[in-house]
Amino acid sequence: MANVAKKVSWSGRDRDDEDDDEEEGRAGEATPLLNGTGPGAGGARQFTPSSFLRIGQLSNVDLNEDVRELETELPRQYPNEIPHNEKLLSLKYESLDYDNSENQLFLEEERRINHAAFRTVEIKRWVICAMIGILTGLVACFIDIVVENLAGLKYRVVKDNIDKFTEKGGLSFSLLLWATLNASVVMVGSVIVAFIEPVAAGSGIPQIKCYLNGVKIPHVVRLKTLVIKVCGVILSVVGGLAVGKEGPMIHSGAVIAAGISQGRSTSLKRDFKIFEYFRRDTEKRDFVSAGAAAGVSAAFGAPVGGVLFSLEEGASFWNQFLTWRIFFASMISTFTLNSVLSVYHGNAWDLSSPGLINFGRFDNEKMGYTIQEIPIFIFMGVVGGILGALFNALNYWLTMFRIRYIHRPCLQVIEAMLVAAVTAAVGFVMIYCSRDCQPIQGSTVTYPLQLFCADGEYNSMATAFFNTPEKSVVNLFHDPPGSYNPMTLGMFTLMYFFLACWTYGLTVSAGVFIPSLLIGAAWGRLFGISLSYLTKGSIWADPGKYALMGAAAQLGGIVRMTLSLTVIMMEATGNVTYGFPIMLVLMTAKIVGDYFVEGLYDMHIQLQSVPFLHWEAPVTSHSLTAREVMSTPVTCLRRIERVGTVVDILSDTSSNHNGFPVVESNPDATQVAGLRGLILRSQLIVLLKHKVFVERANLSLVQRRLKLKDFRDAYPRFPPIQSIHVSQDERECMIDLSEFMNPSPYTVPQEASLPRVFKLFRALGLRHLVVVDNRNEVVGMVTRKDLARYRLGKEGLEELSLAQT
Amino acid sequence: MAPLRRLLVLALALGLAAAAGGERRRRRLLALEALAEAEELSASLWGAGLPWDLPELEPECRRLLAAFAEGSAALAGCLGRRARPVRLCQGCHRHYGRLLAQYATIARAVGNSSESHNCAKSILTSDRLQVVVMLSEFFNETWEAANCANCLKNSSEGLSNSTVEFLDLFNKSLTCFEHNLQGQTINLSPNNYTEVCKNCNATYKMLNDLYNNLQRMNRQGGESGHSAHLCIDVEDAMNITRKLWSRTFNCSVPCSDTVPVIAVSSFILFLPIVFYLSSFLHSKQKKRILILPKRIQSNASLVNIQEKYS
Repeated sequence: MANVAKKVSWSGRDRDDEDDDEEEGRAGEATPLLNGTGPGAGGARQFTPSSFLRIGQLSNVDLNEDVRELETELPRQYPNEIPHNEKLLSLKYESLDYDNSENQLFLEEERRINHAAFRTVEIKRWVICAMIGILTGLVACFIDIVVENLAGLKYRVVKDNIDKFTEKGGLSFSLLLWATLNASVVMVGSVIVAFIEPVAAGSGIPQIKCYLNGVKIPHVVRLKTLVIKVCGVILSVVGGLAVGKEGPMIHSGAVIAAGISQGRSTSLKRDFKIFEYFRRDTEKRDFVSAGAAAGVSAAFGAPVGGVLFSLEEGASFWNQFLTWRIFFASMISTFTLNSVLSVYHGNAWDLSSPGLINFGRFDNEKMGYTIQEIPIFIFMGVVGGILGALFNALNYWLTMFRIRYIHRPCLQVIEAMLVAAVTAAVGFVMIYCSRDCQPIQGSTVTYPLQLFCADGEYNSMATAFFNTPEKSVVNLFHDPPGSYNPMTLGMFTLMYFFLACWTYGLTVSAGVFIPSLLIGAAWGRLFGISLSYLTKGSIWADPGKYALMGAAAQLGGIVRMTLSLTVIMMEATGNVTYGFPIMLVLMTAKIVGDYFVEGLYDMHIQLQSVPFLHWEAPVTSHSLTAREVMSTPVTCLRRIERVGTVVDILSDTSSNHNGFPVVESNPDATQVAGLRGLILRSQLIVLLKHKVFVERANLSLVQRRLKLKDFRDAYPRFPPIQSIHVSQDERECMIDLSEFMNPSPYTVPQEASLPRVFKLFRALGLRHLVVVDNRNEVVGMVTRKDLARYRLGKEGLEELSLAQT
Repeated sequence: MAPLRRLLVLALALGLAAAAGGERRRRRLLALEALAEAEELSASLWGAGLPWDLPELEPECRRLLAAFAEGSAALAGCLGRRARPVRLCQGCHRHYGRLLAQYATIARAVGNSSESHNCAKSILTSDRLQVVVMLSEFFNETWEAANCANCLKNSSEGLSNSTVEFLDLFNKSLTCFEHNLQGQTINLSPNNYTEVCKNCNATYKMLNDLYNNLQRMNRQGGESGHSAHLCIDVEDAMNITRKLWSRTFNCSVPCSDTVPVIAVSSFILFLPIVFYLSSFLHSKQKKRILILPKRIQSNASLVNIQEKYS
């Protein structure tokens, strides 16, 4: 609950940047420390070899006795500032509480609810999944229809203008009109993202990935985020940026799922009093993974791909029933989209548009492949991997620059506008310079732009640039051979590559799937054309097929998804026989790309300093033990604690801990203060709010006993400690925690190795892991950030530093 | 082979005659015809290697079949003759209509009497190839692909008003072209078509506008349907005219204003450079405050980390 009142943002910029000076005055408030670290931890440790050596020598004695001494001897320095880099972990991200607190209240509730009630809970889960599917599908429809109409309007206006000025002269005005239209539309889209909800920027896939991994990204599943996301996507696609609307669907689906499963919206301040049982992080996560799957399914018409996406990206916790429910939500989602869009397009019951992007049919004879082509496909995978790595590397530098220098909202808006204007200008110049004219007859161009072509012909470059990216992709897949000349394709690939790379990471909500597909389709088609030149026009070298493989290779090279992407592409093409070559292409692209840099999403997660836990601990980390990993000393609470102490600990802003080990109340000389349980900050706050004090209970002032419902009602935004008033008299009261604490927290001995601890964390979704000695005394606490800071870098095991962002 | 074949013909003739059954008088009259037909049939059956179980075609059916054959021959001829320049819809819609009617008669016969029941069955569905069905499908598809329904009246009788108007204008502009070309001297240089361009501009523009209008109306009207195209006659006519106009006569010379376009675009391209430079120079770099967590420092981890630094 770090800084509940303070707004935090994903995009890496700070709102209170302007009042930095003021911030420093109350620096204590702004520097929450890790769980388990004391308030006095001001010293900075620098990773220079000399200081290591010194510390190494010092600690060359039995550590158990020397801990305190060593700590006091560390040089005290003021916190030092460094420019943002990728080897940081931000403090603003917290873990989600997946571990169920099996306290007395929980047991009571379980006793009270009978078997039949649990069955209704199961039914409710299915109902929620169905609703997630339906709503996600409807949101996708809404986006699709609005984008189609607005983009159509824009292109018609610009086309009419260009047509007019082609005759009279003055095409520079058309260029200005196009650029201004784009820039102004993008400005609106960027303003709402930058000023209202920065977490809605980008595709949202990294954020959802983090959420499913167990990191609480502030604001990520709020209704407000959904609204901004949907509007932002529409505006950025209409604004002609090199973006797609598919990635954001995943985020939208996740928000819808989180919203429905809670039966209320805190943004709207409405509580529908339904689904109260699911107001827990564990349940919410399950629904969010269903929502993400439904989003993928609506975006690509790929229900199985959606399920696998959730499996691949998120879930470390998986069971058969959950999978089945998620599949159900996905299917409902694609079906809803399909039926609504069919009705909208006027051919109801046809069910011909299962996803936002439709790759079209790939089932005619020309599109088949032979076994001899497989090496060619693999080669394309290599090219895709290299280009993808180049894309990621360029985007890495750009994102770093953006985080460091372009962190003010107004600058971000200006940047987005500039990109939009440049995109239009580049498109216009390309179209202007192109002399590639194709006859209109028999082609299916939506907005044929004649420009300098003869009457009855259209500019072929314009089909690629003067169109929404989705349509361009489908054109590249399906236009008959000869629709584009190689020069056009080459220039288009080059330009679009840089534009897309420049666009990703702007403060607009937009995805990278479609631009990647488009780049890949363009060079794939070029590849196919040159292949058919080389082979003297053989029948098998159909450029459309190579465009598809190129698209798969490029996308795989950029995002590095494997299983789910294969299935998504397979389902989007509707051709199972393509599964094998697509799989090979994606595998090759991933292998080649991973050799250079990591995937785009992982890269962005790292750049945002998120404590992300990968599947496994770093391979060379077995020598590290829990003792070195943990934070110590730990702030513990006694079983019966003074209210004043609790309030003080909770309001100590410099130690923003979330979990507190509960120890035996009054240890005498013979008895050590053994670990008795674990209590969370949120629980303590609820206890303080309801004033559950021993004295009051004795005076029978408490009307009713606290129930689990009281804790759930406060979820997920517990009030900050400052908002709870505790009088001076009450400070002297005692509070009995034994009923509310989790009596059996997970513990490890100090000697447990890092991979063991990691496995516990990853598999159980832990937030706090108490490290005890052999007398069951608390010696330390392991949290997510303690584990996430070890990473396998280029030169072996690296340690990330913690930073306040 | 020959004697065997002869035998088969006889057998077939007999078979046909026998199958005709009750109407003896007619049988006699038709004997010759039956023989001739039997010869044809035997030829086909011999090829297929099925000399037995002779199917029989009612005379009524035979007439229908012959009419259909004639009709399709006429239509095919018409289509072929009017393939270039395309005049399919104007010239062949009567043939097509007739053929449709003939086919419908054959097909409709299914439910009528028992006799014609046999007729539809034996003509349309009694063999694998089903030539009649195939032919009719071919013509239908061609007609659909040409989108002729678009420039015909709803009842398929005659051209629609807009098409007639368009064709009139088309003829007018062709005449204009011709007229102006004739007016010039014979030994004119190939690029010197300014006269044509000047004189026929109005007609051409009208034609072009009309075509665009037709196209727009068609797109609006046919939103639900699949026909985004106009009928092939109109499309082709326009195509020819446009080619003549802009390729041969080189009349449509768009003003290319390269200088302003380059100026504006380079201005736009220049903006981001300014933006990034200024934000690099003037914006305060974002600093992160490092925070040191409290940990036990032990040998192992230090050794571990030192290894990487050395």
